[in-house]
Amino acid sequence: MNINVGLSDVLLISPMIALFLASLLPITMKVLRGNREQHALITLGQALTGIVAAVVLLVVFGGSDKTAFNNGLIFDGVTQWMGIIALAGAGAAMVMMYENPATTGKQFSELIFLAMSSAVGMLILVSAVDLLMVFIGLEMMSLALYLMIAMSHEEKLSKEAALKYFILGSFASALFLYGVAFIFGSTGGTNILSFMDNAAELVQTSRLFLFGVTFVILGFCFKVSIAPFHAWTPDVYQGAPTPHTAFMATAVKTVSFAAFLRIIATKSLTGSDQLFDILQWMAVITMIVGNAAAIMQNNFKRMIAYSSVAHSGYLMVGLITAGVSDNGAFGASGVIFYLLAYGLMTIGAFAIAAMLEKSENHIVNIDDLAGFAKQRPMLALCLTVFLLSLAGIPPTLGFFGKFYMFNAAIGEGLLWLAIWGMLNSVIGVYYYLRPIVVMYMKEGNAEIAGHSLNATTVTAVVMALAIVLMGFVSGPIFSAVEKSLL
Amino acid sequence: MILSSIVFLPLLFALLVAIWPKANTVRHLALGLSVIEFIVSLSLFKSFDASATGLQMVEKFMWIERFGIQYFMGIDGISLWLVLLTTFLTPIIILASWTSITERVKGFHICLFILQTAMLGTFLAMDAVFFYVFWELSLVPMYFMVGIWGGARRIYATVKFFIYTMAGSVLMLVAIIYMMYLTQEATGQMSASLLDFYQLQIPFVGGTFFSLQTLLFFAFALAFAIKVPAFPVHTWLPDAHVEAPTPGSVILAGVMLKMGTYGFMRWVIPLFPEASEYWAWLFMLIGTVGIIYGALVAMVQPDVKKLVAYSSVSHMGYILLGLFAFNAYGMGGGLYQMLNHGISTGALFILIGMIYERTHSREISKYGGLAGVLPIFTIFFFIITLSSIAVPMTNGFVGEFFILLGTYQSHPVFAYFAVSGVVLGAVYMLWMFKRVFFGEQGELVKDEHHPLHDLNAREITVLVPLVIMVFWMGLFPNHFLNFSKASIDHLVNNRSNYNLTIVQPGASEVMHAQGGN
Repeated sequence: MNINVGLSDVLLISPMIALFLASLLPITMKVLRGNREQHALITLGQALTGIVAAVVLLVVFGGSDKTAFNNGLIFDGVTQWMGIIALAGAGAAMVMMYENPATTGKQFSELIFLAMSSAVGMLILVSAVDLLMVFIGLEMMSLALYLMIAMSHEEKLSKEAALKYFILGSFASALFLYGVAFIFGSTGGTNILSFMDNAAELVQTSRLFLFGVTFVILGFCFKVSIAPFHAWTPDVYQGAPTPHTAFMATAVKTVSFAAFLRIIATKSLTGSDQLFDILQWMAVITMIVGNAAAIMQNNFKRMIAYSSVAHSGYLMVGLITAGVSDNGAFGASGVIFYLLAYGLMTIGAFAIAAMLEKSENHIVNIDDLAGFAKQRPMLALCLTVFLLSLAGIPPTLGFFGKFYMFNAAIGEGLLWLAIWGMLNSVIGVYYYLRPIVVMYMKEGNAEIAGHSLNATTVTAVVMALAIVLMGFVSGPIFSAVEKSLL
Repeated sequence: MILSSIVFLPLLFALLVAIWPKANTVRHLALGLSVIEFIVSLSLFKSFDASATGLQMVEKFMWIERFGIQYFMGIDGISLWLVLLTTFLTPIIILASWTSITERVKGFHICLFILQTAMLGTFLAMDAVFFYVFWELSLVPMYFMVGIWGGARRIYATVKFFIYTMAGSVLMLVAIIYMMYLTQEATGQMSASLLDFYQLQIPFVGGTFFSLQTLLFFAFALAFAIKVPAFPVHTWLPDAHVEAPTPGSVILAGVMLKMGTYGFMRWVIPLFPEASEYWAWLFMLIGTVGIIYGALVAMVQPDVKKLVAYSSVSHMGYILLGLFAFNAYGMGGGLYQMLNHGISTGALFILIGMIYERTHSREISKYGGLAGVLPIFTIFFFIITLSSIAVPMTNGFVGEFFILLGTYQSHPVFAYFAVSGVVLGAVYMLWMFKRVFFGEQGELVKDEHHPLHDLNAREITVLVPLVIMVFWMGLFPNHFLNFSKASIDHLVNNRSNYNLTIVQPGASEVMHAQGGN
């Protein structure tokens, strides 16, 4: 195999290089200063500079439809949009890390280094079209994440979360790798582009290939918490420090869906009715399981965690749509737009949760929100916007996310999936209303934690404004996404 | 721009109230703003052409081009009165809540103004998705109004209200999206415009339950039936009404329920003519059952507010009956009854709110002999009672009479049964009136520590416009019907092949719906 690495390859991966360099700054500084932390704000500034640089470079080089490193990476619309959404989510999560009691302290530089490394893995993951590249991206992102969760000086919960995440994540990786081996065995290659056009046919003719694709898909089902592989989600989301949870729920989820999308977009689903049916049922079951379990939660973070399982179910509908449609761009842009909306509202919801935590071991229950609207009307309003958007009430961005994605599903004839999705969002309304009920309609004296959380507050307000305002211009945004994918 | 200003001025007002620095004058501000809104809405008459059958004062531009979703508003004889009902009731509601809403006054008026925008938008939007956005938006402020300012079981009631109505409307959204694809199939261009929807020929294979038109019909009809609320999906209404604060009840009964019947008139019946015709018996049955059931249940209510709430189920049944009669009497009467019910039941809830403020009880058995203590209140209550039971010369009579006439023409059997609702209505209202106002003085009335005061000037100011409307609409129905006649006739006569044209301002030429852009 001939590998030529030219300047164009380096330019294309410049966002990752920028991120990587920025990630080195804080720990290098720490070493140079004799193992003393520099001011946390400087660390954060270095990280955010790296992220902004990466976003700019991604905008410049991202949507060019070029491939790099022997077709290992591709830089198309999916890379660009999903990359930007993930980086924005990661950036917002880092802002929250800066102020969170669980994450500020002696090891902030190391934490930021890990988060940035994880972000590099994410960028690899969104652009990878070779299954081994996907694996590298996946592991780079995940390994850093396991460490991040484990290193928080919080007591038991986060250690337990890290261990659970590590074991199940490794299991998912193993499944994935197993599938890649099968694909390699049946096609003699691991590059998606090489079997892109005849995947549907291969699924029908080669049992080995079908197994391979199935295992790869199952690996991703673990990663994006599709039922019945979702069981780790609530525990890990609850146990991890809140900023890390925000990081996982937005950035990690976005890029995992991006890679998932690339596998599904091979149209291998159209070759096997069984696989197609099973995935549809998994989507339905995911929505039901996530929503039904969320109803029963009293822990705020756990509720959002289960609701994020349900959202994975909705997104699965979009993925299936993208997988079976001749005009894949429509379904895929539905998924991207949904992830954009989901990212904004989830970051916002976790920002509020982070503000309510009094210490790193403090568990925020929904009942603790009583009287929040009286104490902090502005923040209560923001949380209301996030919850209504998560529930899909117009004119918030969340509504348009659902509207575009289910629109695509109906257009592809997946009417029953759309109906399931819609009915499930009614169940969702029930538990999204609960915190609002408690905040506005119950007496109490919920107060945000004593320490100053200015940046987190700004994050929440910005997200709320974005959710309301972007609802009105959702059309052009969606068209822009779709156009970049064609 | 007149329609956009009418719809979005309240939203601006909400913002103004939110940033108003002086907490003690928020009410005055809100009242002033709502009166301005009413005056602005009156300016509709200046350019409204009562003889035109099409949409007037149309404003439209592309909103989401990818799916042909437009910012599209228009008004005709059907929506005109509903818009005015909304703007007319709002200042009255604000004035009526002057002393009953004492906590979080600012938030209350913000909710009220947002709700006003949502309701007006629902009546004026002529694009399905645009309509849906307003339709769903209206749930949010109402949810807060009941949940924050409501009674003891307010949380149960408000969550039930939200989930019920939301559950009904998600299927409508699926149906809307499906119809957008139908327009794409038919014309090659996706569109969510109501006018394009009207042009669709949706297959209806002779009465089979699973014909496409039937399915779409039920997806829409369920959403609207829940809102109406039609029997048997009415159960959220008594809960919501009983727990809602007075202004919430007034707006719920006065306007929000009409969004459901308006939906039948504007969307269901003209969009799915064959299915509507085929299933008319079902909805007339539902309407008739609602009339009788609502009246019977109202009769045994110990709580006067619950009584009026169930009477709403009964009255809304008439409207459903009228609409599915498919003739000018039925539909015209249905529309008229929507306005009547808004005024009479709104007034009843205001009156109940006034007495509740004085005694903190709504139990009929604890009253009695109120007429001797509160003579002015009694007079007002009596007038509104007469209107509610449709005594000739009041507004209620005109509406019910037309509806029964229309029903008799098309399906006499339903008219035989429905007419018993008139009698039952008189029974439960007059019996309640007797128990509350005459006879022995009840424990609440003769309580010497808290002597009851008759209505003050503010309260009389609240009620007088409503009473004027009762008689104006009862004595001169043509003043109102003339504005809707052309639109109603157009709907009745062209039901099976309905279309709406866009009336260009200032020009006599009429542009065809599809060409008008």
